[in-house]
Amino acid sequence: MLLLSGTLPMQSGSIVVGPVRFDRGELRLGDAEVPREMLSIGATAMMAAALETTKALGLEPPMSVVAGDLGDGGGSRMIYRYLTEDAGGLGPSTVTLHYILPLRNEFLGFVEMADYWAKRPFLIADAGALLIAKATRVCDRFDLFTPDAGEISFLADPDAGHPAYVRAALFEVDTTEVPGLIARAYAEKNAPRYLLVKGPTDYVVDAGRVVHTVSEPNVPALEPMGGTGDTLTGIVSALISGGFEPVEACLIASKANRRAGELCDPTPATGVFELVGRVEEAVRRVADEREA
Amino acid sequence: MRAEDLLIGSGFQTHSGAPPPDVRTGCDLAVSVPTEETMAAETRLKERGIKVWDVIYRFGGDLPELQFSRLVKRVDYGGHVMVRVGNMKLTYEKGTGTIVNISGGGCPDIPLLAVKLVGRTLQEAVPPAQIGFTLCAYTLQKAYEVALREWGGPR
Repeated sequence: MLLLSGTLPMQSGSIVVGPVRFDRGELRLGDAEVPREMLSIGATAMMAAALETTKALGLEPPMSVVAGDLGDGGGSRMIYRYLTEDAGGLGPSTVTLHYILPLRNEFLGFVEMADYWAKRPFLIADAGALLIAKATRVCDRFDLFTPDAGEISFLADPDAGHPAYVRAALFEVDTTEVPGLIARAYAEKNAPRYLLVKGPTDYVVDAGRVVHTVSEPNVPALEPMGGTGDTLTGIVSALISGGFEPVEACLIASKANRRAGELCDPTPATGVFELVGRVEEAVRRVADEREA
Repeated sequence: MRAEDLLIGSGFQTHSGAPPPDVRTGCDLAVSVPTEETMAAETRLKERGIKVWDVIYRFGGDLPELQFSRLVKRVDYGGHVMVRVGNMKLTYEKGTGTIVNISGGGCPDIPLLAVKLVGRTLQEAVPPAQIGFTLCAYTLQKAYEVALREWGGPR
């Protein structure tokens, strides 16, 4: 089972745990209906894309653990606490941590506790979870990161505590010299075994070695579209939880996310939920092509 | 961010930047004031309802500075321009200045900022620093300022 965690852009109330449902543009997480105006970049896009992937391939739908957080950390603390104290009881095989406030002690509490679960889950981090994994020097306790250009230069820079502190020399080359940045990230022990680096070209990396690159279809309007990295993380999470080998899952996810973007024929003003609506079709097509 | 604005407006000599490495979590910001003004600064912040997370005394050096001016990229898509500062991207329509997309970041206030900013013009949008809490929001504020400066008004 796949457990997806992340904050929602609303006041913190209580934590919500339950299945992800997405139908005709309506997203439900457990018993909570997410207001349509809250469907944006972040956990909502990631979770909806994961669900669409499971629909395409007949996989078990994901579970979500979410809480409202406007940036003060209240909802993030609830999520860390749930992951640490209760999530093991669900027995998820894959856990994805996403938009969440980097809180050192709370985060490390979960990372430590995951080792004591009956079966250690495959751990995926993106967004805020990726930042705090590097800051606390526990990248090797994860299995997959899905960084974008700003995040891979951050992982490559041993002194940066946040992408805003990355050296200008690395920032300048973060879309043109990605293999070099990947090598630096591994040399600094700031990467897990697998990386899926998203950008104009996506890189699938296993233990420091680039094993696949994906550049097609090339849809330039996807770069300004907020949330395309979130959908990629959702797709790859669903595939890995569904039993795909990690490198194969990264390759399919990269191709499917690009295909979904192409299918929605975006402009720089297109919203990510138009892409989400194409994920099921895109995943099915790419998976069929791989089988053929 | 709001603390920095208030302290500067109140006449304090401030620097903003990364907290010292031993207490940094990644997305946090710190404001430094001269040691002898710590109490007065804390009192001023509390008067205005701004919560102080922690006070740390350092008697040498300064906060590592943010160098956003060196972390700016632009992409022109014809009818739209994307401004990227660090890990944050803001895209606006050239003619109207309407913000059409926000991308990047990892902290919980970024999806909220996307909801609040997208669909509004650069002129009418609430600046990210007035809503956000985190360094990602601070970075987005810089992208917003660059976009506002470069757009220059309706055409």
